[in-house]
Amino acid sequence: MRRALLAITGLAASTTALVVFKGSPGTSQVAQNLPTAQPVNPSGPGSDPAAAPAAPGTDPAAGPPTPSGSAGPSTSPKPGKTTARPSGTKTTKAPSAPRTTTKAPQSSTRRVTGAPFDAVDDSQTYGFVTVQIVVSGNRIVDAVALSLPSGGESDIHSGDVRTAYDGSGAEVVAKQSANLNTVSGATATSDAYKKSLRSAIEKAF
Amino acid sequence: MRATLTRPGLCRVEQIMGTTITLDLADDLPPVTLRELADEVFAWMHEVDARFSTYQPDSEVCRFDRGEVLHSEASADLRYVLETCADLWGATDGFFDAYATGRLDPSGFVKGWAAQVASDRLVAAGAVNHCVNAGGDVRVRGLSPSGEPWRIGIRHPWDAMAACLVLTGTDLAVATSGVYERGRHVLDPRRGTPASGLRSVTVVGTDLGLADAYATAALAMGTPGLNWLARLDDHTHAAITDNARQYHSTNLPLTD
Repeated sequence: MRRALLAITGLAASTTALVVFKGSPGTSQVAQNLPTAQPVNPSGPGSDPAAAPAAPGTDPAAGPPTPSGSAGPSTSPKPGKTTARPSGTKTTKAPSAPRTTTKAPQSSTRRVTGAPFDAVDDSQTYGFVTVQIVVSGNRIVDAVALSLPSGGESDIHSGDVRTAYDGSGAEVVAKQSANLNTVSGATATSDAYKKSLRSAIEKAF
Repeated sequence: MRATLTRPGLCRVEQIMGTTITLDLADDLPPVTLRELADEVFAWMHEVDARFSTYQPDSEVCRFDRGEVLHSEASADLRYVLETCADLWGATDGFFDAYATGRLDPSGFVKGWAAQVASDRLVAAGAVNHCVNAGGDVRVRGLSPSGEPWRIGIRHPWDAMAACLVLTGTDLAVATSGVYERGRHVLDPRRGTPASGLRSVTVVGTDLGLADAYATAALAMGTPGLNWLARLDDHTHAAITDNARQYHSTNLPLTD
């Protein structure tokens, strides 16, 4: 029994280390630039204690896995177990069971950032592109370009616009976070995006 | 999550013309019909790419540019594009110039026009609620999958993850030209030097090909392009200068 417990704890520790190691590139400083409206959160150990009390105490066999649940995101490789629980325990503690099923996918999402690639067009280089993917279980649920080429254009400044202009004007450009269906923007070079996306996928799986 | 799993319609993304084409069909049609409509849209986009690509030496545009195809032998699509580019050259005081780089490159019109044609065909086929986004040039019609008018963000020129303005509408062509993705690739055709003064220009109308060309022309004009945009009939605009000032038409369809 003790040996089994040790084996389970060891497995939990190694999967935790694996997830943390693999997830670490995704939590670099660039991730902080993401807007608040992002639908998924980076996997954090903070959400896992909620998964631990999932064992309703009715089944003594559920005892040993509990320490592995509190050790970290080791529940993620076994999504089948968490989804099986609510159907099996139709007791008075039912309200707590659905909560674990809704939190389980969140705790298994992680962000993986691909290597930056040069955006080249007609042998001119405009900067680099970095793509980050969000992985839930073994599915990619989102892909975002974290950095895009700028070409250092911000150093060039224009003169003031003449007063003949009759539109609304001279406001300082601001950021809006809103629920959008689509975005209009200058044409992006897709080759570097694809290369960085591929590298993020290779890192993630 | 913006789109729930139960939303009607279909969304498909493909890499064509060296950029990303996104089709969002919001009509609650049978899955087979939606797939067929999407297949037709992307087949058309591939056809345009094969015909108008300046990167493929065997495209019709390249063969025409080398003199291997006469105007009278050209396809109806190529002749239409050449004629429209000639008209646009006049309408933009020469600032929309398909020959600005020294060789024929109608890309500043073709991408928007191709998306416009795809959108027109969808309407004719009964798919009246959709959004076609061809590398940042957007044509929306009807309502979004949530049953509300489409919400179109204009990309913030210094932050790829943010929008600086949000437009709302049920029948809009929104084209943006900017220097932030591919550097100063738009030339001032009069001086042959890269355009400067404006970092991003968005033109809103009902024909995406025209909107695309007008946005490119205004970007090539630089700051004087703002006054030119203000005189443009039947179109509204937004522009951001190199020193991060934002200008837009008073009647731009902004979200409340």
